[in-house]
Amino acid sequence: MRATFAGQWPTLLVAALAGTFGTALLHVTGVLAVAIAADDVTGESDTVALLLGIVATVFIVIAVYVSSVVTANTVSTVVAGRTRLIALLRLIGSSARSQRAQIAREGLLVGVAGAAIGVVVGTGVAFALDRVAVATDLMPATDYGYANPWVALPAVAVVLTTWLASWVGSRRVLKVRPIQAIGNANEHDREELGGRRGRNITALVFFVIGTALLVLGVALGLVSPFGVLIGLVGGIVSFTGIVLGADVVMPPVLRRVGRVFGRTPAARLAAENAVRHPERSARMTIGLVIGVTLVTTFSVTMASYHELILAAQRAQPEVYQGVDEMLNVTVAVFTVLIGFSALIAAIGMVNTLSLSVMQRTRELGLLRALGFDRRQLRGMIVAESAALTLAATLTGVVLGFGYGWAGAQALLGSAQGTPALVVPGIPWALFGGLLVAAAVLTIVASIAPARRAMRVSPVVALAVE
Amino acid sequence: MQIQPSDLGLIARVAELGKRYGSGSGAVTALDDVSLGLRRGEFTAIMGPSGSGKSTLMHIMAGLDSPTSGRAWLGDTDITELSDSALTVLRRRRIGFVFQSFNLVPTLDVRGNIMLPFELDGRRPAQDEQEWIDELVDALGLRDRIDHRPHELSGGQQQRVAIARALATRPDLVFADEPTGNLDSRTGREVLGLLAAASARYGQSIAMVTHDPVAASHADRILFLADGRIVRDAGRSSAEEISTFMLGMERAA
Repeated sequence: MRATFAGQWPTLLVAALAGTFGTALLHVTGVLAVAIAADDVTGESDTVALLLGIVATVFIVIAVYVSSVVTANTVSTVVAGRTRLIALLRLIGSSARSQRAQIAREGLLVGVAGAAIGVVVGTGVAFALDRVAVATDLMPATDYGYANPWVALPAVAVVLTTWLASWVGSRRVLKVRPIQAIGNANEHDREELGGRRGRNITALVFFVIGTALLVLGVALGLVSPFGVLIGLVGGIVSFTGIVLGADVVMPPVLRRVGRVFGRTPAARLAAENAVRHPERSARMTIGLVIGVTLVTTFSVTMASYHELILAAQRAQPEVYQGVDEMLNVTVAVFTVLIGFSALIAAIGMVNTLSLSVMQRTRELGLLRALGFDRRQLRGMIVAESAALTLAATLTGVVLGFGYGWAGAQALLGSAQGTPALVVPGIPWALFGGLLVAAAVLTIVASIAPARRAMRVSPVVALAVE
Repeated sequence: MQIQPSDLGLIARVAELGKRYGSGSGAVTALDDVSLGLRRGEFTAIMGPSGSGKSTLMHIMAGLDSPTSGRAWLGDTDITELSDSALTVLRRRRIGFVFQSFNLVPTLDVRGNIMLPFELDGRRPAQDEQEWIDELVDALGLRDRIDHRPHELSGGQQQRVAIARALATRPDLVFADEPTGNLDSRTGREVLGLLAAASARYGQSIAMVTHDPVAASHADRILFLADGRIVRDAGRSSAEEISTFMLGMERAA
């Protein structure tokens, strides 16, 4: 079925990116581990290599998680657009189960292809980095063999999560009724929101327990740096609550952000479009929220730490020499690693926006027939894209700032011997970067759909489906 | 001095209109030298079997499509010469649409849908326009549905919202494309009665494309199209008369 694969390119891209990221990161840490083992000073202990492995695993898990959220969202958007075709096949006699299995099978195939591409490209990237580092004398040459069996792990993870995400994303297939193939052109526009209550309660429980742990961690942090461990668990649990409850959290944010664009008809429609499928917009933005939250959390914690170091440096300049530079490098490396997940989330958003615009051809035609000119239509799409991006970025920054400050407080509250309040450091460079990235994403996400929307002829509104 | 369409009491006119799709041996002629005028304040039905060119004719008269040859006027404006953006403004201010599949904006409530043409124009309705809209909302029985979204309304109610939207700006001409095609016969009759009343009571010019003889029997004037040509121009007729003529056309073909 060629037509069914047409919607799968973005999923392939996301799977390939996650696979590439995982493979490259494992190879790079492998090279580093070999280099460290060969070094006379650090070679004695396995701790450094172990730590590197743990850090790499954490980042790979984040990237794979974000990519599976993105894939599930893409698949369910594709299914929404295919409702009529699915209904027709059901009418002829195909069962919903087999329809869904078909989509999951596609997911498995795409996952395998993406993982394979990921392994090849990731190995290539790592090899190139290795050569560049050796050539520029950043690192001694190593005898690291690229036949690292651990690389299979991210590949397998990508295959399994893409498969699973396709399965989860295709559950709407079960709700398509055969009658929809012959019904009139009445749009079944609302997504069913059944089964939400249970999930929302779970989300709330996670959030409350997590926040309580976070507060406990901060309080303990006043006397012991180990408070950060409790705080970390609290942060993960409460953030999981927010992600689970995204379809309650995101629509109000989207609505507020939508008002920023004014009361022109284009802006108003854009704001409404952004929340017309609460579940879809929540899923569309939550990947980006996760990415931005992680980046911000990390940067705020590091910036707070940096402030503390600076204070100490002023007191004892000779002891803290060179610490500054090391900190900056660490921050940069980690930001790039987390930023990769944000990139995957951004691709997901670009894709879902294009798909949802494509599925609205008829409505766009109607607006043209009623007197929307091309510029207004483009303005509407851009505003919709901006509303989604801004809402995700703002939510991420606010959450990240809270978590980052809590983390810094829990970690550093007792650092000066007496319980003290840690002033949160503000990573201005990061905020500037996020603003630029959000603007770029808004534009990139709206180029294709806006062009398509402007080409829609008003005649399509009169055509009968 | 040139005679303008409005001097003849015409709200819209086409002259020697031709429309061909494709080229060479695969070319299809949708309209073949059609000339007609629609009179101000009249409810005109354009009838014909599938493929007769009635939809193409309406698209061109509404500025949605351009002809291969000939000219079309709305009032005294030659719309065949207009740019896309001028046509957009023309549709916004001087044309109303009622579609077969209702076509309301799903994210806007009833009030939002009715007000949309004004909002697109970047203005609020003036006092007399607001009174007119209120009158429409009451006459169409939409008052207690005003805050509802389209998916909360029945088909007949949705079509009444579409009619209110089309009439709200008091356009020169309302185009209705098979407005009863998706409705049951009783609701369909109501909608036709509303269109006829808009024409009779408020002097609204309406052009309705249909292939349903019952729908056409509500009109003041009926134009029959076959194979891209006008084959008959009749006054008010009963559904039986219209059916008989349509069947005769089928046999002749």
